[in-house]
Amino acid sequence: MSKNRVSRRQFLNYTLTGVGGFMAAGMLMPMVRFAVDPVLQHKGESDFIPTKQKISEITEVPTRVDYTFEQVDAWYTSEVTGSAWVYRDENGEVVALSPVCKHLGCVVDWNSDESNPEHFYCPCHGGLYTKDGTNVPGTPPIAPLDVFPIQDVDGYLHLGKAEPRKGA
Amino acid sequence: MFIKEKQYIDTVVLPLYPVSFGDDIKQAVGITEFISLLSVQLERQFKGRLLMLPGFSYLKNANEDKLVSDIKHWETELMSQGFSHVFYVTSDSNWKIHEGNLEGDLIWLPSLPLEHMEEKYKNQILEDQVKQLLNLFVRKWQNNE
Ligand code: FES
Repeated sequence: MSKNRVSRRQFLNYTLTGVGGFMAAGMLMPMVRFAVDPVLQHKGESDFIPTKQKISEITEVPTRVDYTFEQVDAWYTSEVTGSAWVYRDENGEVVALSPVCKHLGCVVDWNSDESNPEHFYCPCHGGLYTKDGTNVPGTPPIAPLDVFPIQDVDGYLHLGKAEPRKGA
Repeated sequence: MFIKEKQYIDTVVLPLYPVSFGDDIKQAVGITEFISLLSVQLERQFKGRLLMLPGFSYLKNANEDKLVSDIKHWETELMSQGFSHVFYVTSDSNWKIHEGNLEGDLIWLPSLPLEHMEEKYKNQILEDQVKQLLNLFVRKWQNNE
């Protein structure tokens, strides 16, 4: 018989640790995954949301562009729609403004107030913004409309997360 | 936000939801779905000026005078809290009869059978309805200024 013969006790020890180890790993792995996954996932996908708007079709007139994305509220996933005012400025650059009034959050409309043509108008308390989104002093809003970062993906407009700008 | 900006929020909306377990159960459910979809849109558009209350649910077979007086109760409370515009939205046509008894504005919209519609049309139709509704609010506000 060779010297390194495995005794019954050793054999049992090895097998039990082995099996136990597998079991522990089986239990721990998902836990680690749960903990790490949200972090990984967030980095994996880009935060830009696709729209149906072709970049080539954007004109100087602000037009409403809608987009939808999925929002998870605790256990409840819902489709959320949002919109942006999109146009080309004098330099031909595409501008995408958030329609959310910086006063108290109503949705602003382009050119809807007869006494203030060519402005973004908020029906709630008469907030006004010029075409580039700058708030008109003397109306309730105290900051310009947020701006979406934009991306051109195969000729289609993709919107990032709207960012605030400095007040006027 | 509401507490801080109370002075700016002068409008309150109370959706009225009929509940029924009888033959008209389907209709009642349809109304509730339709009105709640509209309310969500409405709230989003006019967030800064309007307070959307959780809906008022009532049994379809309840005593109508009792219902009206319940609503009037809400009304008095809301008005005393300084809301100058009170709106009710519903698709239940029974309220039409009592419209005159209410201080606030009753907005009655014909309920549309959304359950048979494709998502795309559904959104389109809702959007049209919301647009009309928005106009109505804006007009009301302008009249009172
Ligand atoms: S919310 Fe737009 S002006 Fe008040």
